[in-house]
Amino acid sequence: MVFEEIYELYWQKIFRLCMGYVNDTDSAQDLAQETFIIVWQQLPKFRNESSVGTWIFRIASNNCLRQIEKEKRFAKADLPINLEEKKQESLEPQIQLLYQFISELPETDRIIISLELEEVKQAEIAHIIGLSESNIRVKIHRIKEKLTQKFKENGY
Amino acid sequence: MDTNIDFKNIWKQQTSNKPNLEELLGKLKKFKNENLRKIIIMNVLLIATSIGIAFIWYQFQPQLMTTKAGIILVILAMVIFLLVYNKMFMIFYTIDNTQSNSQYLQSLYSVKNKQKFIQTTMLNIYFIMLFLGICLYMYEYTLQMTSFYALLAYTLMIVWIGFNWFYVRPKTIKKQEAKLNGLINKFEEINNQLQDL
Repeated sequence: MVFEEIYELYWQKIFRLCMGYVNDTDSAQDLAQETFIIVWQQLPKFRNESSVGTWIFRIASNNCLRQIEKEKRFAKADLPINLEEKKQESLEPQIQLLYQFISELPETDRIIISLELEEVKQAEIAHIIGLSESNIRVKIHRIKEKLTQKFKENGY
Repeated sequence: MDTNIDFKNIWKQQTSNKPNLEELLGKLKKFKNENLRKIIIMNVLLIATSIGIAFIWYQFQPQLMTTKAGIILVILAMVIFLLVYNKMFMIFYTIDNTQSNSQYLQSLYSVKNKQKFIQTTMLNIYFIMLFLGICLYMYEYTLQMTSFYALLAYTLMIVWIGFNWFYVRPKTIKKQEAKLNGLINKFEEINNQLQDL
């Protein structure tokens, strides 16, 4: 598969995965770009052992997990406080809430639910995360319950 | 109130402008360069210092064995430091990022632990070799001084070594460890999320 095609096909998906992880447009953009840089570098080594999707989602989610290394370098406290306010007023509140709630979950749950919402098959999610399919099913069920609960608390 | 919120539908509505390909590939170059710059600077600095020291040997033709041994120790300290530093850099960049998340977390965890061990051990070896080398090197030149100045030279030297060993070294190790321990704990914590169901 050519890089350009992959980029075209997966940019939004990878961006949303990163967005679910950090809930910050700029960081998510950076993480998504880093992912594609790694994909570009590793593509010649890709051997079709797994589907391209699994392969790319693994790179993206691993890159997100590694995020904390960089976080340490720029402590959040150093950022201006009003940064929070200006981000995407245009988006519907429901979308904002969903991404906010997801980014508040434990790290691995963020990845699992993002992949589920991206309609990745559960067997594939299991393969990306490295857990059994039944474990993934249970986790997805619990995360969805948690999210529904949070939405209700906010009047939806 | 709708109990079945269509999360998938809400999720999909989030989009972002895709940067054009040239812009992305431009970043690729910058990304590579930034990572390489630090290691190149470190290599150039230490190699230049080693050459400088070797030049002293050539220029001043030391007579005593101790001087030569001192020079060799100092250069060796720097060479070992460089080899380990470069190797650590390589380990870091050879973690397979196409593994599953749980394997990847384990790799990160073990690499960070290894890094902690290497950094601490390395720093100790580096300091010991450097100090020993300098003390040996000085011997030939202090012989030409009066015993007062020779004693003064060694006293100053030992004070400087003591300051480095008892203040700079522990402080550096502590700083490195604090940073690494933070990461190690975090990776462990994330990995534990996968274990409990």
